[in-house]
Amino acid sequence: MNRDRPHSDMQHSDPHIATRQRWMGVLARAGGQLAAYESALKEADYRLIRAPEIGMTLVRGRMGGTGSPFNLGEMSVTRCVVRLADGRTGYSYVAGRDKQHAELAALADAHLQGAEQPHWLSRLIEPLAAAQQAQQGAKAAETATTQVEFFTLVRGED
Amino acid sequence: MNAANSSQWLQPAFNDPVLDAQTSFRSALKALAEPGLAQPLNRALALESLHPATYALCLAFLDGDTPLWLAPRFDTPAIRANLAFHCGCPIVAERELALFALLDESELADLSAFDNGSERYPDQSCTLLIQLDALSNGAPLRWRGPGIKDVRCVELPLPAAFWQQRQARSAFPRGLDAFFAAGDQVIGLPRSTRVLLNAEEAA
Repeated sequence: MNRDRPHSDMQHSDPHIATRQRWMGVLARAGGQLAAYESALKEADYRLIRAPEIGMTLVRGRMGGTGSPFNLGEMSVTRCVVRLADGRTGYSYVAGRDKQHAELAALADAHLQGAEQPHWLSRLIEPLAAAQQAQQGAKAAETATTQVEFFTLVRGED
Repeated sequence: MNAANSSQWLQPAFNDPVLDAQTSFRSALKALAEPGLAQPLNRALALESLHPATYALCLAFLDGDTPLWLAPRFDTPAIRANLAFHCGCPIVAERELALFALLDESELADLSAFDNGSERYPDQSCTLLIQLDALSNGAPLRWRGPGIKDVRCVELPLPAAFWQQRQARSAFPRGLDAFFAAGDQVIGLPRSTRVLLNAEEAA
């Protein structure tokens, strides 16, 4: 499962949807880091529309990114939907089997749709995004040292 | 209707999705196995005008493979949004395409358009989920057939037109199966049950 895929090329044309896609992606990748924000996220009253549930989803891929689709395999996914007292509804789909993560991510999505969006963006999303970017950069640097380049001068086919 | 508009209508469904759905499905099976006996079905809450038993039947039966026809009385944004969210069932406008139909008593005079299966696949008929105000205090009728020892007297408050329609659509093995739900109880009426409409048939 490749969590580090750059996703700038998949941005939605609607800026509202693009922003929400970004924070949902950050929340989905946050994993256990969200636990630090649990008390803040659970301050407001909320109820579970769909309690966190674990299921499987089929991941499909395209050969070279453009070929015809094939079934890559199944992965476990946890999803959750919450509703805050004021009616805002938050959704989450996260990889893995961590119900706590799914519930907190859904809560964060609900909070981020309200008037305090800038507050939550700066307090929650930006630090998480920065941490994820740093982690991704470190991993890329570590991988880069093992890269081997092959040169083929003449293949003899022509 | 997109998710952004319909999310305001969403309500929680079963408390325990797995166990409650299994219990409700079991009650529905028992209702069909013993036609005319009321079975408890109280694992869901009411959803607008849907009684707990009716909503539990929907939650237990419907999924992405079961097109549903909704009676106009039940065709509200809240019911549509919750069925779409919790069941994921397509809601169809043509009765012929429906595998399940959610009806109230005003719809029972005309069942002609619902699919009653084919000789080869009688199981592909439309199952009627009928919500009534009560499951008793109607005209007493005697039911007999599989699952009933001798005769069972059932007092469903149904118009005579329903029994004529059921008779008209019945050509065993083809036919319509029905569930009657009210409050938190359900009564099953499979196509194999013979309903004796008047005294002469008793013999």
